[in-house]
Amino acid sequence: MEILARGYDSTLSLRELLSGISPDKLSAALAILLDAPARVVSADGAWVMNDTHPLPENACRLPLVHDLETAGYLETAAADEAQVRAAANLLELFMQSGARYFMASEMHIEVVKADYEELQRRHAALMASEARYKALAENLEERVKEQVNTIESAHRKLYQAEKLASIGQLAAGVAHEINNPIGFIRSNLGTAQSYVQKFRSMAGQIKSSGNAALAGAWQAADLDFVLEDFPSLLQESVEGADRVARIVSDLKGFSNVDQAEEEVVDLNDCIRSACNVAANQINSRAELKLMLGELPPLRCKVGHLSQVFLNLLLNAAQAMEKRGEIRIQSSIENDQIVIRFSDTGCGIPAEVLPRIFDPFFTTRDVGSGTGLGLTVSRDIITDHGGSIEASSEPNTGTTFIIHLPINRRSP
Amino acid sequence: MAELDETGSKLTLKLVYYGPAMSGKTTNLMRLHDILAPDLKGEIMTLETQNDRTLFFDLLPLGFRTPSGWLVKFKLYTVPGQVVHDATRKAVLSRADGVVFVADSQRSQGINNSESFQNLEDNARRVGLDFGALPIVVQFNKRDLPDVLSEDEIRERWAAAPWPLVMASALTGTGVRETFVKLLEAVYPALDRNFSLSEKHGTDAKAFINAVTGDRIGNSG
Repeated sequence: MEILARGYDSTLSLRELLSGISPDKLSAALAILLDAPARVVSADGAWVMNDTHPLPENACRLPLVHDLETAGYLETAAADEAQVRAAANLLELFMQSGARYFMASEMHIEVVKADYEELQRRHAALMASEARYKALAENLEERVKEQVNTIESAHRKLYQAEKLASIGQLAAGVAHEINNPIGFIRSNLGTAQSYVQKFRSMAGQIKSSGNAALAGAWQAADLDFVLEDFPSLLQESVEGADRVARIVSDLKGFSNVDQAEEEVVDLNDCIRSACNVAANQINSRAELKLMLGELPPLRCKVGHLSQVFLNLLLNAAQAMEKRGEIRIQSSIENDQIVIRFSDTGCGIPAEVLPRIFDPFFTTRDVGSGTGLGLTVSRDIITDHGGSIEASSEPNTGTTFIIHLPINRRSP
Repeated sequence: MAELDETGSKLTLKLVYYGPAMSGKTTNLMRLHDILAPDLKGEIMTLETQNDRTLFFDLLPLGFRTPSGWLVKFKLYTVPGQVVHDATRKAVLSRADGVVFVADSQRSQGINNSESFQNLEDNARRVGLDFGALPIVVQFNKRDLPDVLSEDEIRERWAAAPWPLVMASALTGTGVRETFVKLLEAVYPALDRNFSLSEKHGTDAKAFINAVTGDRIGNSG
């Protein structure tokens, strides 16, 4: 139950000031002390204590003062002024005592209420804090797991980055070392081919020279076959050397050995030129559909991005088991350039999909791919502040989506 | 704030003596009761525990009538200084028209003084008083004791504060009246603004102070 406090400093009426005293006993005591009937009347006359005896006309009337003001009157027929004065003083003392009690109790109520409110406030704060800790305790395991996952994932990424960096360094070194010898091997092979031609032109002369010993030795050494086989051997070696050169060039791309210059271009032009380059390999296998939306000019490493597009196109072409369709879309979505390469090829099995960007990962026969094409592509896109993702449905097709930010840096 | 009763002829002011425990707030009130001789002077009401420590408050009512017939009542309260009685201090302080901060001059009481003054500022804010506009007089009491801060030290420490400083010894009565008069001087302008005391009730600042202290008007110079 709520106790209504009036306030310790509210103004008190005469009745309230005398509320602790029995009116009958007080009246009886006053009558005996004054030796005459007496009554107490409030200042406004609304309340009268002991109204039983009518007072005579000549009754005297003394103010009863409380808190500097007249709160009521003592009316009595008594004649002795000193006695009446004493009785009034007595009543004022009662009133003062009543006021003291009233103020103390009101203040008590106020203080208790304030203390109680403060307690409730603290209690509520404690409950809230307890609930918070309870919730924290309940989620603790989950949050620890989350944290562990975050740390593990960060760790994996770091490890991956380190691995890539060291592979890149290795690749750069290897590429540099191989480049020179493969250069002169390729060149020498070409020269060797021309030398073989010269030998070949000599064969007729030797055979028709009539020198039996020479012809016999020619026969014995089976030089006809040698001259037949030598050019094809050299041709195969040339192709081999070319392949090594191509791998070295891929490796250089992977390790970013040759930093390309940046230019401001329309990526749609890039896509078109990549299509032209790959046209030979594509046309025999698939229908090419370009759906190029308008793109803002982009500052980028054109050579690198062209390489990415070419990689994706050739991959798509090679994925065709029967004649299919390759579709390239470009557009702007959420302030990013988005380019999609979709093919209707054989698709990528789900267990392989997460590894396709790993360096040296390839599903092709040994020798026909370096396993670096997509790795290099991803590094190039990442270098441009973008991202590349693949989604695939086996036997239905694969889609690569490239996101590139437009405002990577001001041109 | 000062209250005008419903009949429009009685103005009640609340003045509070605030300060740390045992700094002499009740003694101030008792001396005032002895010294002052206003038209109307009530008895001191004290609510104390057995060992003379104020439990809730002390109350001294004073009053006078303006030439226009208004009754102006002053209720002088003290607060209990002990830290535990904060709720009581807050209740007493609410709606105060002016505050006398009674500080203890003894060197050992510096921390108690500043904590209590901070408490005054906090409670004033809690009960909705504008601390910056609240009339305050700071009294350094117990000048009669040994090992007190010198007046120079005190004035230097409080140099930046806007409130009047009064040196007092409530036990002997020194400075008690001066403190009270300083507070009346600080309280009067707001009252005059709100109730036109000077214009409509023939009570200028000097008459106001003389009436409360009991000096006959025109006879104080």
